[in-house]
Amino acid sequence: MSHSMPPDCESNSTSTLPEQPGVLVVRKHHFLVRWSHWLNVPILLGLILSGISIYWASPIYQHKPDPSTGNADVAADIGIWICAHVPGLHHYSSPPDWVYTHMSLGPGMLGLALRLHWLCAYLFMLNGAVYAAGLVRGGGWRSLLPRRTDLFDALRMFRYYLGFPFAKLARRKWLHPLFDTKYNALQRAAYFSVPVAGLLSVATGWAIHKPMQLHWLAAAFGGYNTARVWHFWLMWVYILFVVPHVILVFADGWDTLRSMIVGWSTRAERSEVVANEQ
Amino acid sequence: MNNEGKGAMPSTGMQPEVKSASMQKPQRFFGERPLPAIEMAPRVLRYQSRRDFLVFGAGALAALAGAGFLLPQNTLSRMGMPRNMDSPGKEWFLNKALRIDDDVAEALYSGTRRVPTHTKSQITPLKNNYNGATPDPGYISGWKLTLDGLASGLSISLDIRNLLTRFSVHEQITRLVCVEGWSAIACWAGLRLDDLLRAYPPVSEAKWARVESSVNLDASGNPDPYFMSLDLATARHPQTLLATHFNGQPLTVDHGAPLRLLVPVKLGLKNVKAITRITYVAEEPRDYWAERGYSRYDGI
Repeated sequence: MSHSMPPDCESNSTSTLPEQPGVLVVRKHHFLVRWSHWLNVPILLGLILSGISIYWASPIYQHKPDPSTGNADVAADIGIWICAHVPGLHHYSSPPDWVYTHMSLGPGMLGLALRLHWLCAYLFMLNGAVYAAGLVRGGGWRSLLPRRTDLFDALRMFRYYLGFPFAKLARRKWLHPLFDTKYNALQRAAYFSVPVAGLLSVATGWAIHKPMQLHWLAAAFGGYNTARVWHFWLMWVYILFVVPHVILVFADGWDTLRSMIVGWSTRAERSEVVANEQ
Repeated sequence: MNNEGKGAMPSTGMQPEVKSASMQKPQRFFGERPLPAIEMAPRVLRYQSRRDFLVFGAGALAALAGAGFLLPQNTLSRMGMPRNMDSPGKEWFLNKALRIDDDVAEALYSGTRRVPTHTKSQITPLKNNYNGATPDPGYISGWKLTLDGLASGLSISLDIRNLLTRFSVHEQITRLVCVEGWSAIACWAGLRLDDLLRAYPPVSEAKWARVESSVNLDASGNPDPYFMSLDLATARHPQTLLATHFNGQPLTVDHGAPLRLLVPVKLGLKNVKAITRITYVAEEPRDYWAERGYSRYDGI
């Protein structure tokens, strides 16, 4: 670049601007946050797959045994239904097991599933501590706290997401609501709820793992049996979170995905808004 | 052109502005702070991105390899992995995790902490969860409990009348929790194992009891003796009973007549039915379910 330019241009640049135009970047995520974020993928997958295998040994949702199949498990009913209605699965060897062989490690392996579940559970707690440390060290925790205006702003975002596909189809302009914060209200609600769900999963996990030594913890969730129900439904929080999370990250684009791996974002304009308004 | 305007112009204008803003207003503790923006050479940004993506990719591959290493063989076979991935290293690693969990359970145990007791109205049905077939009641008439590993060096045999007349009977309504996840509240009565330990003290170096039932059967009805390790600290817990009665009635064969271990601070699988022998030993004895991939201590 420099040798193609006339000498007078070079002298001009040294007097006012730096030689190479830089990119303005902001550090969005502390590296501990990034690492623990991605470690959650295998750990949560391991917890869910082994968890459903454990669930198989004594399902929460049961009905009177079906006279023809002898099955009493609602989850197994779903497998039976899938095998009966999905083409190509009519001759599946064991329809009641379909859900468990496809959504878990498999049925009839409680011992193996428990070992993996404990392993992943300890890793999950360690990883949660790393995440918390990253939030504190990077100051990122402030961006996750709910605000008084969140309910209204969440509705605005909801309206935006609902209208977006129609606006695209009608080729109309559909403006993203403006926020002067790192996350919009819906994101904040999601990113605040998931760590809370993580804490509750750990607490209910301990409550059903040690219902005698930690009987006060089990009692806090309504007793041993109710704590199992909590633990089961908390799993669905992650599943229901991950689907829109992944879709929206890809919809939002490369910069957002990269920022969770590299940490940098080149969308520095938004931080200027923050800087100017404060 | 546009890019240059975005990249270079605000950087020179912004840096002092951030400073002045923070100097003018002291920020609230919970208030969101602006993300510090810095100027970076595109080359450096590209280099860092490439490096971090490579590290990230290596991490993803490592996670995949870890999953292949740790997942049960049945699961891997179903996913189309033809090779047997079971290895001694995998067993060792998973057992290590299990051991850590057992150590945590042992650290949580307290000899003075009682498990919650319930009222009669909270009693729930308790199914017969014999691992194999339920034994034929013929064994009950000649039943005896044998104690080994005693300080006296003798082997003692006691029948159910001995036990019930020599020791006071305690009643408790507690929850039995199965490793499978279900649980049941029942009223149990029997003598305290602690009282038996006092009457027939074990050898001084004993730290464990091996509790076994020789009448256990496997699923097809063949003899399959059941044996289980119990640490003496738990054996001395005041709610650890040698139960003779279930919900006010003498134990039925389903529930381990005439004598079963009731240890509510352990999983149900440690609550051996139809006990025939207790041996006190110094080293941790074998355990039926630990040999089948479950934990050893099983404290809950």
